Amino acid sequence: MNVYKAWPRLVPLLALLAIYAGLVAAGSGYAYRVATTVAIMGLLAASANLITGVAGLMTLGHAAFYGIGAYTAALASSDWGAPPVVTLLLAGLVTSLVGLLVAWLTRKLVSVHFAVATLGVGQVIYVTMLNWVDFTRGPMGITDIPGLGAHSDAGNLAIVTAVCAVLLWGLSRIIHSYFGNALRALREDERCVAAMGLSPARLKIQAMGLSCFCAGVAGALWAHSTRYISPADFRFTESISILAMVVVGGLGSLPGALLGALILTLFPELLRSLGDYRMMAISGIMFASILFLPRGLFGEASALRLLKRHFNWQGAQ
Amino acid sequence: MFDFLDIFFVQQLINGLAQGLVYALMAIGFTLIFGVLNVVNFAHGEVYMLGAFVGLLVIQVWAPPLVAVILVVVVVGLLLGVGLERVAFRPFRRFNDEASLKSKALREATLLSSLAISIFVRELTQTYFGSEMQAIPQRYLLMTPIKIGALNLVSGQLVILGVGLLMFLVLQYTLFHTRVGLSIRAVANNLSGATHVGINVGQTIIATFVIGSILGAVSGALVGLYTGNIYAQMGFAPGIKAFVAMVMGGLSSIPGAVISALVLGVSESIATQFISQGWSDLISYGLLVLTLLVFPRGLFGGSDERV
Repeated sequence: MNVYKAWPRLVPLLALLAIYAGLVAAGSGYAYRVATTVAIMGLLAASANLITGVAGLMTLGHAAFYGIGAYTAALASSDWGAPPVVTLLLAGLVTSLVGLLVAWLTRKLVSVHFAVATLGVGQVIYVTMLNWVDFTRGPMGITDIPGLGAHSDAGNLAIVTAVCAVLLWGLSRIIHSYFGNALRALREDERCVAAMGLSPARLKIQAMGLSCFCAGVAGALWAHSTRYISPADFRFTESISILAMVVVGGLGSLPGALLGALILTLFPELLRSLGDYRMMAISGIMFASILFLPRGLFGEASALRLLKRHFNWQGAQ
Repeated sequence: MFDFLDIFFVQQLINGLAQGLVYALMAIGFTLIFGVLNVVNFAHGEVYMLGAFVGLLVIQVWAPPLVAVILVVVVVGLLLGVGLERVAFRPFRRFNDEASLKSKALREATLLSSLAISIFVRELTQTYFGSEMQAIPQRYLLMTPIKIGALNLVSGQLVILGVGLLMFLVLQYTLFHTRVGLSIRAVANNLSGATHVGINVGQTIIATFVIGSILGAVSGALVGLYTGNIYAQMGFAPGIKAFVAMVMGGLSSIPGAVISALVLGVSESIATQFISQGWSDLISYGLLVLTLLVFPRGLFGGSDERV
């Protein structure tokens, strides 16, 4: 691989390093928190993008899966004293199992039925978190969750970013594989997929399992980096804002999902001075982006074309 | 008469039916709009909330009799329906052919645009009026107790039952015995066919939104006066429940949605009696998931549709 072909891949890395250097130079705890949130939300939006954008199954309960990951990590580390490496993996696996189960149960549902089923499952999980006080400590949430182990904010951010980057790389490999193509076919026409000899049910279950794994790890990262979680972080409105990230960014596009997460996480922070008008501004952004950019900021087709034209990039080979 | 049943159980059953009627009132308008356009109108909860707020404002400013309040709410519901269709739905109907009207892209775009509008309106109301419950003048509250034997009813429950039945019947009459209803059914059934026989599709869609929003606004005002809770977030929870009832009932069947809404209300209130209040939501959403597992198209849904 020559330098010319490699450099577009280096751009995000360089940008990341630049942001990181800027944060270290600024050195405020607030900036680190925002950056951590952006990274975690990016991973979460990318995982939702796999089901909603690529496989075309709209999910209205993704925050609940994220919550399962967060609770698994929080309980495992504060009750059993498990180290972050174990809790991250455990959170991913537990969430993935729940996702597989949900997908297996809902494998026959299409379009709005699937969306409402995930809404129902999400609410069931949320209500359980809220009311099973003995296990989840109820509405008070879990406090004093052990951190990620690094001694500084910068170290924590580095761990979060590294984990997110690895998973995002994995997701992008999945999206640009034959399996990803099968998922796209599922989005376009389920019966066609079946006629080609692929099993739509199996594809849905696999996609859900993979996506929920990433959502679970994102939840675990969130639990370890904020060190406090409560059911309020994982209710229906959160699912909606995850969906909004995917849609604002462009359905089916990984860079789009990241950009959507960046915008919808950063804007509320920047608009904090607006106070009560903040949510109105966000809903305004959402509305305008659907109206004026029907394919999202960075839709799949336009993102690929842009990469090809500007970077002579031939896709992942 | 009820001696084989615990009287508290019957009381809970009646409370549950009243709660179910609240959901049903909302689900009717919701389902009507879905049936015609195949789109989810998340802003229906905000129409309901605005109906309640307008009713309250009218009461605070003029204090007219209840019937006049309802008439004003009807007019406001009409305007809201026209406005909602214009802002959140029309801009996304870029092409009028059948394929693009039934497309996934349109469904997702309008779902999110109506959601964005609903967040905007809710936050605007909350900033303007505050998030606390509004004070309602005592004599307008529909809370006069009525005793039937050992049962305690409230006048609001009877009003809601009456209005719910009336709305349902008027809607069925409109749909099946008037020209507007005929064109609404035609557009719902086959859009291009309706265009070919000379039905003005744009106007019919507006008419659907107007009817749905009037139903939503009136039920919001009545439920607000019955429960005494009028606040900016009041449309959210019943809106979700109405959505659930619509899907359980089979998406475009209004009687199905009403029955599912009643089932949801009753099961919630019975669950409240046997287990704690917090868990009662678990019952209704569990019921939803279970229904979808056994009947993937809802209880009264049609057959598989190729889009």
